Amino acid sequence: MTTSFAPRNSSNPIQIAKALKYIAFAVVTGSLGLSYVYLKNQQFALADEIRLTEKRIKQVRAENEVLLAKTTELSSRRALQQRMTSGSLHVVHISGDKIARLTPASPAMQDGILRTVSNERTSR
Amino acid sequence: MNKPECMRIALACGVVALIFTIFSARLVDLHISKHAEYSKLAAQKHTLRQIIHAKRGMILDRNGEILASNLPVRKVVADASQIKDPAIVAALASQFLGLKEADVLKKISSQKKYIVLKKEVPEDIYVALEAAMQKAKVRGVTFEQDAIRIYPNGETLGHVLGFLNDEGKGVQGIELTMNSLLAGNDGHRFIERDRTGKEIMLYRGTEQEPVHGKNIRLSIDMTLQSILEEEIDKTFEEFKPETVTGIMLDPKTGEVLAMVNRPCFNPNEPGKAEPEQMKNRAIIDMVEPGSTFKIVVAAGALNEGTVNEKSSIFCENGRFSYAGKILKDHHGYGDMNVHEILVKSSNIGSAKLALLMGGDKYYEYVRRFGFGERHGIELPGEIAGLVHPPARWDKLTITRMPMGHSVAVTPLQITMGMSVIANGGRLMAPHVIKSVEDIDGTKILKKTPKVVREVIPEKTARFITNALVGVTQIGGTATYARVSGFEVAGKTGTAQKVSSKGGYAAGKYVVSFVGFMPAEDPRFVCLIMVDDAKTASNLNYGGLVAAPVFSRVAEKAARHLDLTPTLPPIPLQDTPMAKVETLNEATH
Repeated sequence: MTTSFAPRNSSNPIQIAKALKYIAFAVVTGSLGLSYVYLKNQQFALADEIRLTEKRIKQVRAENEVLLAKTTELSSRRALQQRMTSGSLHVVHISGDKIARLTPASPAMQDGILRTVSNERTSR
Repeated sequence: MNKPECMRIALACGVVALIFTIFSARLVDLHISKHAEYSKLAAQKHTLRQIIHAKRGMILDRNGEILASNLPVRKVVADASQIKDPAIVAALASQFLGLKEADVLKKISSQKKYIVLKKEVPEDIYVALEAAMQKAKVRGVTFEQDAIRIYPNGETLGHVLGFLNDEGKGVQGIELTMNSLLAGNDGHRFIERDRTGKEIMLYRGTEQEPVHGKNIRLSIDMTLQSILEEEIDKTFEEFKPETVTGIMLDPKTGEVLAMVNRPCFNPNEPGKAEPEQMKNRAIIDMVEPGSTFKIVVAAGALNEGTVNEKSSIFCENGRFSYAGKILKDHHGYGDMNVHEILVKSSNIGSAKLALLMGGDKYYEYVRRFGFGERHGIELPGEIAGLVHPPARWDKLTITRMPMGHSVAVTPLQITMGMSVIANGGRLMAPHVIKSVEDIDGTKILKKTPKVVREVIPEKTARFITNALVGVTQIGGTATYARVSGFEVAGKTGTAQKVSSKGGYAAGKYVVSFVGFMPAEDPRFVCLIMVDDAKTASNLNYGGLVAAPVFSRVAEKAARHLDLTPTLPPIPLQDTPMAKVETLNEATH
């Protein structure tokens, strides 16, 4: 009887090519998944930025309109008239000799004050 | 593997397959069969239709001065279902919005999803409140965009501009007639919100841009308007009449340059005004015009060849008996031609001209001058006045109508009638709108002058103009209407006021002056009408009350329009009222 002690040649060799294929597949799939999540997050972040920018634009527009309304109100005839009446705005008298006249001057009343209208009453 | 083992594995696989099949069937049912139903439900739960408000157009004067604009404000809205800590919301609302904490808490406790906490919150307060709410991490309070209409000039031009109601719709004036163009169309977008109420931009749905309202440019010149307002104000203060009306327009184009009524109201606060203050009497009030109406019979008689420029009419020395009644003149006159009849404002002369013309022909001219019909100005409530046809006249009407009685007309009709003389015989369509513009200033619609009809030939209009110049010369009835350096043409009117109880109100008069300047090439026609001036009856005449106002308005207008004087300066004349005061002071 012959007995052989030679080791059995029955190992399971790692099939590197196959493993690499699976690893590559897992990496690609994982990357795709992560990219999707990343891009989605980016989209949300950008959308949020757009929302904030839109809000800011609206705000600036509103502020602009408020300023326009205030300017209109402050420069309106009524406001200017009120400022004249209250004394916070003065009309500076321009003496006759400093006016270059293209049309004949309107005659002044007896008190010597030039008026916009010659027949305006002097006092009430 | 033995048979029972195989059976067990097959059973397990079958069960798992069955479970997945049931799940798949349910998924198919949810995603395909009931897609529409669940989509709708999901949309109802998450999607909102957000309104994008259109901006109301502005109203401008002919030079671009802003007469009506918008002030952005916010509406503070709470969604009670989202509010976690009502106490903080109440505290902040009370601090920034001036509301009582208890009131806010009561409102929020209703658990409604749309609770208006406050309207018309200024932008600066909104910014501060929003920052405070973000800091306090408050949810469930939103700020809706809104706007309030402002009229920076207050009462000035209030009747023409009108105002808006609480819903933002025009109620009166241009705001009403041009509402559809001014308002524009709101847009919308479908949005989704997260659980904090914030919009998820990524899921923004379809969007329709708003169409902003158009700007309306009026033919009004605010400088002329201010001039007229100032003088009308003075007259209203001085004579304490029931009403005063002033109209200024360009006779060649029919453009209204200024329109003033007293009493008036502030369109910024329409709730504080009485209905009487809101009436635009220039177009909705009718009065007996008095002698200003004499231009119709004079023009008609000349044009029809009933009389010529030299024909003499006997004015019965001031007392004319007709149909059993006596018609009087202010002074007794003998023979007068048409020119003199107008200068002296003879009632008898005018009545005789109408009698010579005949009722039908005279009526035809009254209508041709635009009386008894609406002019179609772009302002609400214009009336046609009251001009009866000859079939409904009594025997006296033909002698009363030429002097402006037995007929009711609007101040605008009188002004338009005088414009016919001023522009050489054409009746123009009056308009207060010059153009409609896009928000960037592009003109969409431009109003062009429209001739309604040729009323009289230019030659006749010239003749009447010359007579009307005579009215303001020494010897005429309106010397106080003169303007230094310019030739003024015009006509006074003094009519006893019609009583609401019938007949005439004793001692009450509607006095007026309607004229144009410069007479040779008119730039404007102006009417001043004073209803029931509180003054001595011997001073209550158009030539003494209204004519001086016209003169001051015309002189200031001439400076604004840069008209070159063509005549030498006239000697100064104080107003008749000042003369009376001076006399009183001297006697005291």
